[in-house]
Amino acid sequence: MTDPVPEPSGEWQRLHPLSPLLRGGVVLLAILGYAASQLFDTFLNSLGFGDVFVGTDGSPADDRGGGDPFEQAVDHPFIALVGLVLFLAVIAGVNWVSWRYSRFRVGGGQVELRQGVLFRQHRQVRLERVQAVELSRPLLARALGLARVVVQSAGGSDSTLTLSFLDLGRAEALREHLLELAGRTDEAALVPTDAVGPMGAATGSSPPPDAGTPPDAGTRPDVVGAPQPWAGSHPVLEVPNGRLFVATILHGSTIALGALVVFGLIGAGVRSVGPLALAGIPALLPVALGIAINRFKELLTHGNFHLADSGSAVRVQEGLTDLRATTIPLHRIQALELVQPLWWRPVGWWRIRVNVAGSGGQGEGEGQRETTLLPVGTLEDARLVLALVAPGVPANAWDGAVLGDGTDPGWRGRTAAARWLDPLSWRRNGWLDVASAVLLRSGRFTRRAIAVPHARIQSLTLRQGWLETRLGLATVHVVPAPGPVSPVLAHLDVARAEDFLAEVSERARSARRRSEPPRAPLAPDPSGLVDWSRHPQGTPEPERP
Amino acid sequence: MADPTPVTPARPSEVTLRGGDLPWRPVSPMLTRVRLISVGIVVLPLLLATVVAAVFASPWALVGTLVVALLGLWAVWLVGRQVSAISWVELDEEIVIRKGRMLRTLVSVPYGRLQYVDIQSGPLERAFGIASCEIHTASPESGGSLPGLPVAEAEALRSRLAARGEAQRAGL
Repeated sequence: MTDPVPEPSGEWQRLHPLSPLLRGGVVLLAILGYAASQLFDTFLNSLGFGDVFVGTDGSPADDRGGGDPFEQAVDHPFIALVGLVLFLAVIAGVNWVSWRYSRFRVGGGQVELRQGVLFRQHRQVRLERVQAVELSRPLLARALGLARVVVQSAGGSDSTLTLSFLDLGRAEALREHLLELAGRTDEAALVPTDAVGPMGAATGSSPPPDAGTPPDAGTRPDVVGAPQPWAGSHPVLEVPNGRLFVATILHGSTIALGALVVFGLIGAGVRSVGPLALAGIPALLPVALGIAINRFKELLTHGNFHLADSGSAVRVQEGLTDLRATTIPLHRIQALELVQPLWWRPVGWWRIRVNVAGSGGQGEGEGQRETTLLPVGTLEDARLVLALVAPGVPANAWDGAVLGDGTDPGWRGRTAAARWLDPLSWRRNGWLDVASAVLLRSGRFTRRAIAVPHARIQSLTLRQGWLETRLGLATVHVVPAPGPVSPVLAHLDVARAEDFLAEVSERARSARRRSEPPRAPLAPDPSGLVDWSRHPQGTPEPERP
Repeated sequence: MADPTPVTPARPSEVTLRGGDLPWRPVSPMLTRVRLISVGIVVLPLLLATVVAAVFASPWALVGTLVVALLGLWAVWLVGRQVSAISWVELDEEIVIRKGRMLRTLVSVPYGRLQYVDIQSGPLERAFGIASCEIHTASPESGGSLPGLPVAEAEALRSRLAARGEAQRAGL
């Protein structure tokens, strides 16, 4: 408890006192603002300035005196003041009660949050199931120096635990602490011997040898002793907002729109079709608006993009107004895609997106946001990120994947028969097996390279349509956990496709065997990840009158 | 569960899109009947309707009868081919399902990736004693489905898959 870091020893902790107010959000603030302005008005009135403003009429005093006594009383500044004070007191009271009743704690291998006065909630997330912990800072919270901690776990859309709000320093410390705990339990797969020990010591009774040491020594030694991957996060790159702006504009939809407008203008110049072209402009407006909103959203999401390396995870911070920080543990990355859309080629920009277990599935907006590791960057930037998140893939493999053409050493799958179906990209389509992953490359104009770790392949599918049967081709789908990346290798020679299936399944087999967790797997925890039911020691039904 | 586990100790290299030497197992021929009945439920009323229209309105409706009849015959032929094209094999670490002739697909799902296995059986299927077995992984698109297994075999397959899934489970 003397730690600057929020004490993880299982004590119930409270959120920031202002948080109910912020959660009530804009409505409450509007009411408060209105009340304040009223207060100010009445205050001015009481000082007699009100008379100055009505004074031009000539007879303000008569008006005051002329009303009936009750109205006069309500009108009286003092009564109004009392009313306001009462109102504020009620708000403050509700706020206080709500604050008193929402508590959280970290301990016993889980995060718990209790909320509610009438309808109590108790939500808990087990630490080993934590997929990501992120900070979110809405505008209002940012102004007050507060932040919201969102704990995401594997499971349905309901499987998040949101602590809103904490002050920024505390939130960051808590996030790091949670990730440290969650990360350590994940590493249990690699270091099975001491994985359980520290957790047990941290959460439960201290073992006899520790009896002489101070009470919080149970947690501290392993925090200090273990390498602390979350403390030493160092920045890797940031994306300048100017570049992001240009890149956002350089998009298929905007370019198509621009071309349309140019053609329209040219058409308007030609007399014969002029009126027609002009008539088309209003029809274009909703489309233009839609595109603008879409592009603006992109800009809003990825503005102020920062990427930092914290050892076994990458940390992404982004958002033009609503600043969010997400941490993606490296081992949660299921597939990775490096893309250069056609219109980014002249400037040489690339984008990197990943599938992350547990965050891609539901809520498109959310998924999109968390899965972009580089919204736009040069090849140098991209290489930095790749070296960070896919250390197993050698750099020259990436070079072949993004720039290669034809018959680079190691790359296979180039199929001449596919030129009828892929006249442009058949030379580039192919795959390369590296130590830990399979790389797929495709696209002549929009270059695309995808890496899927062997250990993350969910299944493999071969498909063969009618035309492909005629040409002796087949298409391979490598299926990872869901997300924006869907690895496909189109139109391979059937024999090559079968080779691919054989080799990649073989490698996936051995990769699975290697990464097989020695810990007791999911079996002992069949219950839902997030438990909505009441805590065993919870208070009895309070909602009954 | 009592039956010997029919794992084929084969390497995935022997898996080919057209079958090959592996002991691919077909689905129940009952599936053909079930699907034929489904086709009949759609086609027969249409046929009847066009015939009635031909009798009471215009003989030209017989053209419709002919078209529907041809479509029905094509569907019947297709059902036969489709059902005979479905087959599966259990390798030591994957289950492989093949389907289709015009549009061939081959899905290979490692046991270690199985999340859960569903067995479904509609009223018509139940009348013929078959069920379909659906395999789910962490990715919604990657599961394979195996229609038309005899119910007992579907149950046995599910418990085999569950047991192997537990034994070979790999972390996400």
